[in-house]
Amino acid sequence: MLSWVPLLLGFLMLWTFSAGLASRLPVAVLDQDHSAASRQLQRLLDAAPGLRLARPLADATEARSALQGGAVYAVLVIPAGLARELKSGRAASVTLLHNAQFATHSGLIQKDVRGAVGTMSAGIEILAREKRGQAPQAATQGFEPLRAGLSSQYNPALNYQQFLATALMPALLHLLAMVAGAWTVGRELRDGTSPAWLDAARGQVWPALLAKLAPAWLLLGAVDAALLLALLGLGLLPSGAPMLLALHAALLALYMALGAAVALLARSLRLALSAAGFITAPAFAFSGIGFPLMAMPEGARLWAEALPLTWLMQAQVGLLQQGWAEQRALPLLAALTAGALALLALAAWRLPRVAYDPTAWGKR
Amino acid sequence: MSGWLREVARTWRAVLRDPGVLLMLLIAPLIYSFFYPWPYASEQLQRVPVAIVDQDHSALSRQIQRFAQASPRLELALLTADEGQARAALAAGEIQGYVLLPAGLKREAGRGKGQVVPVLADGAYFLANKIVLLGFAEVLGTVSAGIELRQLQAQGQSPLQAAASRSLLNVELAALYNPHEGYGSAVVPAVAVLIVQQLLLIGVAMWVGQRFEDRSRPAEDLTLWSARTAAFASFGGLSASWFFVLIFPFFGYAYGGNPSGAALLLLPFCWAIAAAGVALGALLAERERAMQLLLCSSLPMAFLAGFSWPREALPAPLWWLGELLIPAVPGIQGFVRLNQMGAPLPAVAPQLLALGGQALGYSLLAAWALQRRSAAIRPAAGPGLPG
Repeated sequence: MLSWVPLLLGFLMLWTFSAGLASRLPVAVLDQDHSAASRQLQRLLDAAPGLRLARPLADATEARSALQGGAVYAVLVIPAGLARELKSGRAASVTLLHNAQFATHSGLIQKDVRGAVGTMSAGIEILAREKRGQAPQAATQGFEPLRAGLSSQYNPALNYQQFLATALMPALLHLLAMVAGAWTVGRELRDGTSPAWLDAARGQVWPALLAKLAPAWLLLGAVDAALLLALLGLGLLPSGAPMLLALHAALLALYMALGAAVALLARSLRLALSAAGFITAPAFAFSGIGFPLMAMPEGARLWAEALPLTWLMQAQVGLLQQGWAEQRALPLLAALTAGALALLALAAWRLPRVAYDPTAWGKR
Repeated sequence: MSGWLREVARTWRAVLRDPGVLLMLLIAPLIYSFFYPWPYASEQLQRVPVAIVDQDHSALSRQIQRFAQASPRLELALLTADEGQARAALAAGEIQGYVLLPAGLKREAGRGKGQVVPVLADGAYFLANKIVLLGFAEVLGTVSAGIELRQLQAQGQSPLQAAASRSLLNVELAALYNPHEGYGSAVVPAVAVLIVQQLLLIGVAMWVGQRFEDRSRPAEDLTLWSARTAAFASFGGLSASWFFVLIFPFFGYAYGGNPSGAALLLLPFCWAIAAAGVALGALLAERERAMQLLLCSSLPMAFLAGFSWPREALPAPLWWLGELLIPAVPGIQGFVRLNQMGAPLPAVAPQLLALGGQALGYSLLAAWALQRRSAAIRPAAGPGLPG
């Protein structure tokens, strides 16, 4: 169970983002101009790889229902008289009504629509300048004195599979690790089998604890390695794979030890699982991958910084995308290992007191 | 009918007396409703640290600096003439991007030659990347427009004519439904639906699972179970209403677009989840097992639901997986349209249909799982009895 469920979920997420970039998001045009210019703009939009032009809309009512029904994520309104304005050399504008409730979609659409409109505008401007008697070359160069040449370092194509799928793997596995730690130890208490468990190790706490947790840790580690291999095969692990595997292994050990320690402190399997849900299920939202820590309120940022996952995410992005040298992640590896050992020690200290205490058994 | 209603009331009381199930069905929704939106409280990312590499040292480059300092999106963290220093700061994560103002920028621009000003942003974090590129594009666009106006006026065009011929065709953006384009406003209303599903599913499967731990419990008929399912579903309706009516306005998200439509959609949504919980509980027959199994499913489900990753980009089998098996997937699509976008009911007909189908399918699954349990119980309860 602990091997195929994580493996299945991991591959499910890789598959989810297999497109890498969202393409062909549906948009529609409300053409009130019906001119050569408006048709040219629609051809440019249709050529943008991120957009799929839906059936043209007849009026504002149709536009509204197409947006509300989710048939399209944006409507470009081309006002009547656009061609006339452009021909006479006056500035004109088109309006993009975009569904900001679907922020990812509307962000991608805005980029492509701006690109198409910019291309068309530049073409018209060059023609206009040539008409005014500027040499074609001067016209091309001069139509905008300063233009921002925008580019991105690290993940320059802004590929979602590289961005999200890689980040989601440790988020998923750390949750499974804490659940597994809580489950393996908490179940002994629930079933009242904890004395037999300790007796089997002749009362030696550390061997008992490690033997209990090791199988699940090895299984999750193997799943992690398989997922990293898959990422490697997809070309999403340019460098730093061995260090990443070590960091993940330490992270999984830490969260398993946390699950075990919480089960022994709460003396209840159910409460330990609830704690795992509270700490690890929303952890991705706090990790800074989607929404950065610097924009969070003070308290939320402190909670985020208290989560080992947040630090792992930062190092993982550094290693995979920002070209960190592997040594730069060594302090984090040491900290995660120390955290895992400290939590194991806490569990080992609680274990004999709780395991032989009948009041700690059978709690539901 | 009165017996049916009595069983509904009995189930409510049983839930209130069971601290574990009570935590899942009533208390956890309260906690998550504040905990989950917490990191997004500011809604906007502003003042992202950036650098300006100024190799021009001109009036123009100083003007760009002033505009960058005035931009609410950018925070000028480093001003240098050395691009290597800016690259190092980018690699160290001290800045999220920089603009390079090359030597001769003012001279060339003054001659009317178009200059491309390189802006480089960190592509590893998408939101910060977008803000940095947008911020610098705005700054350069404003400065560029000023230069061009002066040039065109110098060529003898009137200011009005000059302003018009600068950029001929423009796009005006109108953000619908989330006018401030807040991050939490977009994410939380969707995630809330998933939270309602997961907590209800776990809570119900926990209660039902424990009930079947006792293998000798006599079989009960489906009428009784339909009353229990209705009682469980009502808790889902309660926690969904908590989010829709109180939490969304509290955090300033769009809300209440079509309340009667949302109430109607809640019926198949909550019933489908409650029935799935009954089925799961009967199959697992162990109180804590559902929580162990379901905690890990929230994250993959979130990305099948089409808010942070477009459903148009999903492989077809995953699209159908969400549509047919996960109530929160059509649920998110439907409730966001009704609550935030104010859609009329016909606009969510596909979601209503999908949830109705899931409600029916999970009811049949629950009936099958319950029959299977009682079939397993009967021989044990009464061996040797005829029939």
